Amino acid sequence: MVFLENLIHILYFVMAGLIGLSMVKSLFKRKKNGSIVFDIMYAYCLIPFLLRVLYIK
Amino acid sequence: MSVTALTFILLLIMIASFVLSSIKLKSPDISMVVAAIVIAVVGMFMFPDLGSPVMYLVEGLFVNLDLAMLFIAASIFVNIYSYSGAVSTITRGIVEKINNKWLLITIMGVLMLIPGALTGAGSVAIFVLGGLVNTVLESLGVSKRKRTVFIFFFAILSAAAPPINLWTMLMTAQANMPYVGFTWLLLVPICIAGAICIVYVGWGAKPEPKEETLKKLPERTEGMTWWRILLPVAAIIVLFVLALVAPWNLPVLGLPLMFVIAAIVALLCNPKKTTGKQYLGILDDTMEQVFPLVANVLSIGVLQSAMAATGVRGLIGSTCVGLPLVLIYSLILIIGPICQGCFNYGCSVVLGGPLIFMFNTLGMDVTVICAALSLIFPIGDCLPPSRIVGRLACEETGYTDSYLGFLKSALVPILAIGLIAVLMIVKPLWFTFLY
Repeated sequence: MVFLENLIHILYFVMAGLIGLSMVKSLFKRKKNGSIVFDIMYAYCLIPFLLRVLYIK
Repeated sequence: MSVTALTFILLLIMIASFVLSSIKLKSPDISMVVAAIVIAVVGMFMFPDLGSPVMYLVEGLFVNLDLAMLFIAASIFVNIYSYSGAVSTITRGIVEKINNKWLLITIMGVLMLIPGALTGAGSVAIFVLGGLVNTVLESLGVSKRKRTVFIFFFAILSAAAPPINLWTMLMTAQANMPYVGFTWLLLVPICIAGAICIVYVGWGAKPEPKEETLKKLPERTEGMTWWRILLPVAAIIVLFVLALVAPWNLPVLGLPLMFVIAAIVALLCNPKKTTGKQYLGILDDTMEQVFPLVANVLSIGVLQSAMAATGVRGLIGSTCVGLPLVLIYSLILIIGPICQGCFNYGCSVVLGGPLIFMFNTLGMDVTVICAALSLIFPIGDCLPPSRIVGRLACEETGYTDSYLGFLKSALVPILAIGLIAVLMIVKPLWFTFLY
């Protein structure tokens, strides 16, 4: 059980990483919402995913 | 100057910066962050003990991070499931087999509830099923305006439907309440209001021949069998039930991981030949589709954190506690949706949380009241400045007439759900048998 709990914990970090990567991609290249407002929104929404992947928070 | 007066000035600054930013940037999400930064910086000068605002602004981004991940995971599941052709196959099968107009409209309503109920976002229900429901309703002779009302109303109901109701989740998280006991409290009013909407929309509609309808619907996906349709949904239901029935014998998966597992099952059940690149395309499209909602919940967290640190949230809360009940009962149906139109899910933090604390202080049943508030807030999804769901519903049906005309047409079902919710707030004890 402890092993599974640890595995799930790691999976959530992986998920955060993948979502972060997808957001980085969307920050530079996306089909809609191309304005600078969305650039800023993508940039600050990326912060929590980045900090989580880096084990900072 | 007293601390209360200083905090009140901060509240005014917050409102002013939010309004100005909304006008200039035309986005409630970034406006919430701008308002949070402004009160954090001004608050730093007013209350030097607060320290650097950077810490609690960044911490605010983590407040609703789990919700954001849930949004993304659930939308990935729904989009992969929809891409496999399961949704269009189900819709076509239903139209082929059912001849009764009322039954068909009811099934369309129930189908529309599912994606939003699973993801917590009404817009996902429109993205997944809006087009199909519009085609079916058109063939039943429902006018364009009423079709827009139907799609909008069931989209907001789907967002409020359990298991995932974000307004309730945010309010319970603030009030340290468990997110338990809301299933029937939310479902029963939704079913009543949904039934009223179905009668309102279907009244006087004259259906066209079935062959015409079937021509307009997408063809069945080759190889799509019943087990392929049922297995992904069954996977998510089994995971939900197991988490409820045997919580001590299973590791805690969490809702986002449950949806990821269901998405993998949907991917394995997909009968279409799909390359990895195509799946990546679905993931990219999903991210773009849900990003406004992700940005919204993360921005709410930042504003929530800044409001809490500077004392603005406490001021609103303590003011709400002192308000006369009659005032709240008579104005909640107006203020709640307007607040939703401005802050989106943020209204559950700005208005919902303090109201929960107020009703709790009065010894009223806050579970019922929390459910009632989360039925009122979604109504504001048709109001400016954001009007996300209303705008999407209009786009889906191609409704280009007066937006006010659409709002007037939507008044009947909106009043139905609103009045039920107000009754739940006024007499919460009448509804305690539902949980």
